[in-house]
Amino acid sequence: MGLIGFLILFPLLSALLLFFIKSDTARDAIVVVSVATIVVATLALCIGNLSTPPVYFEFDSQVVEIVCTILSVVIGVIILWFAWKYKNVLAGVLGAIQLVAALIFDFAVAPGVHVEQGLYIDSLSVMMAFIIGVIGSGICLYALGYMKDHVAHHSEEEDRRPLFFALMFLFLSAMFVIVFSNNMIWMFTGWEVTTLCSFLLIGYTRTEEAIANSFRQIIMNIAGGLGFLLALYYCAINMHTLSFVEFIQMGISAPAVISLPVCALAFAGITKAAQMPFHSWLLGAMVAPTPTSALLHSSTMVKAGVFLLVKLAPLFAISTAPAVMVVLIGGITFTLASFMAISQSNAKRVLAYSTVANLGLIVACAGVGTPEAVWAAMFLILFHAAAKSLLFLCVGTAEHHIGSRDIEDMDLLFERMPQLARNMMVGIMVMFIAPFGMLISKWATLVSFVDNHQVALIILLAFGSAATFMFWAKWLGKLSGIAGHPANVEKTVYKSEWAAIYTMTALALVFCVALPVISSGVVMPYISGVYGYTMMALDSDILALMSILSIAVIFVLLAGSTGGSKKRKVDAYLAGVSVNNADRTYRNALSQEATATVRNMYLADTFGEETITPVAVVSTTIIIIGAFAAALATVAALL
Amino acid sequence: MGFASKSPWVIHYDASSCNGCDIEVLAALCPGYDVERFGIINTGNPKHADIFLVTGSVNEQNKPVLQEIYSQMLEPKVVVACGCCACTGGVFHDCYNVLGGVDKAIPVDVYAPGCAVRPEAIIDAVVEGLGVLEQKSEALKEQQKRGA
Amino acid sequence: MDMNFFLSTIIGTLCFAVLAPIVGCLLSGADRIISARMQGRVGPKLLQPYWDVRKLLGKDKIAVSGSEDTYINLALFFSLLAGGIFFSGGNFLLVVFVITLSSLFFIVAAYSTRSPYAEVGAARETLQVMSYEPMILLMTVAFYQVVGTFDVGGVMLMNHPVICTAWAAFLGLLFVLTIKLRKSPFDISSSHHAHQEIVKGTTTEMSGPTLAKVEIMHWVENVLFMGWVGVFFVYANPISIAVALIAVVLIYFFEIWIDNNFARVKWQAMLKWAWIAALIAGGLNVAFLAFM
Repeated sequence: MGLIGFLILFPLLSALLLFFIKSDTARDAIVVVSVATIVVATLALCIGNLSTPPVYFEFDSQVVEIVCTILSVVIGVIILWFAWKYKNVLAGVLGAIQLVAALIFDFAVAPGVHVEQGLYIDSLSVMMAFIIGVIGSGICLYALGYMKDHVAHHSEEEDRRPLFFALMFLFLSAMFVIVFSNNMIWMFTGWEVTTLCSFLLIGYTRTEEAIANSFRQIIMNIAGGLGFLLALYYCAINMHTLSFVEFIQMGISAPAVISLPVCALAFAGITKAAQMPFHSWLLGAMVAPTPTSALLHSSTMVKAGVFLLVKLAPLFAISTAPAVMVVLIGGITFTLASFMAISQSNAKRVLAYSTVANLGLIVACAGVGTPEAVWAAMFLILFHAAAKSLLFLCVGTAEHHIGSRDIEDMDLLFERMPQLARNMMVGIMVMFIAPFGMLISKWATLVSFVDNHQVALIILLAFGSAATFMFWAKWLGKLSGIAGHPANVEKTVYKSEWAAIYTMTALALVFCVALPVISSGVVMPYISGVYGYTMMALDSDILALMSILSIAVIFVLLAGSTGGSKKRKVDAYLAGVSVNNADRTYRNALSQEATATVRNMYLADTFGEETITPVAVVSTTIIIIGAFAAALATVAALL
Repeated sequence: MGFASKSPWVIHYDASSCNGCDIEVLAALCPGYDVERFGIINTGNPKHADIFLVTGSVNEQNKPVLQEIYSQMLEPKVVVACGCCACTGGVFHDCYNVLGGVDKAIPVDVYAPGCAVRPEAIIDAVVEGLGVLEQKSEALKEQQKRGA
Repeated sequence: MDMNFFLSTIIGTLCFAVLAPIVGCLLSGADRIISARMQGRVGPKLLQPYWDVRKLLGKDKIAVSGSEDTYINLALFFSLLAGGIFFSGGNFLLVVFVITLSSLFFIVAAYSTRSPYAEVGAARETLQVMSYEPMILLMTVAFYQVVGTFDVGGVMLMNHPVICTAWAAFLGLLFVLTIKLRKSPFDISSSHHAHQEIVKGTTTEMSGPTLAKVEIMHWVENVLFMGWVGVFFVYANPISIAVALIAVVLIYFFEIWIDNNFARVKWQAMLKWAWIAALIAGGLNVAFLAFM
């Protein structure tokens, strides 16, 4: 338990220091030391608790309760202040409602309910801790170099790096609170801190767009937070408990009782995990500096949403209304977000849609709620965290060195930024193709859908996966081009950036290779802890075969893509007389010089945002309203 | 016989003819003469072709085009000049802009005369070219052996 | 861990690597003869595809990009592995994923040359994969629902062939099979015929031995896809294997007939119809099997 406390408190300390210290060298030192400490502590925690059964710690402190109340007030005040400053009425109203509701809860409702086991640890929180502690802090390390470039590129802006780094570390701390708290009030506090942190991080540049997008984020997430609060009220008043584990146990024995709070919690999870119709906040979040996006997408924020839903999975298996909501929203989000990703050429937007889509898959798995589906969901979380952070870091670095985040401008990146392009290619392949992790997880997802007769999900998955292939393959192809010998522009990339990028690549690959071990060492213990038995969608033989194949593919690709082919190099065919073949310029039929250029297909007429967004928003909104109506009807029937 | 001559894939380029020979070349490649019996396939791509069928005379404008297509074909390769213009410049030989036959730009292996060249003549010329292709293929094998 | 699984996969792959090119080559030769006859011609000899590949292997060795070779080797290897897994009775979904991996490497090989024509071809090939993938996935799901396992070998324990209850999925497979076999009207990424707007599409820059490997890969793929057709007819009764072979021959003839009778369509039409086929044939079949 000491380590848990350390992991929660230490990032807070770093955040405080970083907030008050303005010097560059001191910041470098603090970040490096903090990251190293967090990584070591996380690893110690993970190794010490490998294959741990769920362990609940007797921990209850008046101080923590007071801190939670104070934090609620602080969060409320900050939101109200920003809402007043930027004249955003909706955010102000929602913030005020939440502040009042939270205060009433803290003073009038919560004191009657006592939670003895405030903290806990199980294999899912170990896995989440690894993601937060290693991947999340790796992104903080990356941010050091990136933010130097950012400040240099945006000299007109005020240098707000102290606030930036403080928020990043505060984020990690809040995430640790979420994954280790059994007391739902504490969990809620962590939840709200992440909402506030991402609000401030998205609005970091204070441009008009950034402010607008940060308000969109805060409005949607306060709505989700209110859902969480509703569940807290219900639990405290009707069920007399605020212990998460007790809540789940009571729910399993009396599914009708928990229909409404599970719906409310699922709603909170859906907003946080940026599921449709709330996906627009995550897309807006990319106005922030890239490390923020990487952090939001891979290891924090959205992962808190899916974490909550995966925790609720056993309840979804028995409670129809929330399960239907979660399953359908997840499935629709996966397919439609994948469709929209096809139409994007902005790399960060593609990544954002892909995140929304993959989270949709995790949400759908959680909604199915069987051991098989949870197995798939946990692997999706793990691989997504590693691969997506890697891709964001790569895109961020590419953007600073080629001056664009457009995929079309990444033409020839294979030679312009050879190391970066290879890392990016690994990230992309891990995201969508066999024998790498995401595909294996998707495969398990498919099997669990089939075994549970989720026909709608099977069909959504089939079409969504096809779209996934399209948008990743064309990006991969664009990166792989080789022509002429353009200048290498990656010599000025900071060492801290390389360190983070290579760490993420290594993690992504190690996860792929170690998949069978992770399955038996981390994922299975969680599932048997929750369900009492285990079940896996895939044979261990297949996992082993995939593990071997992923080693083989990476090895051959790295050996072969160094351009070591002994064949004589010739020019490309241009259907005319080449003027400069390396630049693909030729003399055309009118004796004029022309350059052959090819853009990828984006199929905007078919898969454009304008076409698909309305369908997505309307259908998912109807589903949410319907599920809440059904849950309310269940409650009414009980009364 | 080796494999080089069993699957001669051709590419056709019209340098600057009256189109008479081009029509005959296409006629030869059409189902009526069914050259696929001999494994002949018309490819639109010099990198896949073994036999280069050229019609028309060479001028300054198309000389570099001819040379580029020729240079993009892989060894072993054979050039067949189809029609009088491609062989010598034909009726255009003394035009101010005409350099002469195809051999003014690239080495020619087989000449198929005629104005316009008859499909039978083209087929005969290609079959004649197969022998040359075979020789060149042997030579390439020798060279590769020595190189290795 | 079960060593038998690895052993059977390896042996299966080795056998497939020897036999599939032979069968695929003969299929391709027959295809060309039948096509010629449909066009009122005599056509080449049965072994013409073999001679073509031998000729290509003897040509000069050149490349536009240094990594194209690696990608093609991987593509060929994975198509062989997919066939090996399939014919040794392995997991059907795994087969689908491995053959998709092979397609991906083929696409990346085309992209890596950064030739305008090859890039257009690669983009269209990607579209083709996107078009057929949903139907293929739904087909494997229907297979699983009928047989109770994803293992292809499972059909040998069935007392009726898969097609009895999965005939709609089979029809859907036939529809996308035309894309997978690269037949007209869906040969939009690279056509057998010269003089088209994208030269030779994906294979524009692949020449000599590299092109030979691509040809062999296509043979191998065709054998695998015909295996998918055949598996719908096989069950515990040994005679069913003969029936499956006859079915495969008929279906292959049918595909050649389609190839010779339909003009190429635009990608929009391909995507639309392939997805409609997947939704109706695949979706309904899966739903029926799940709930009935």
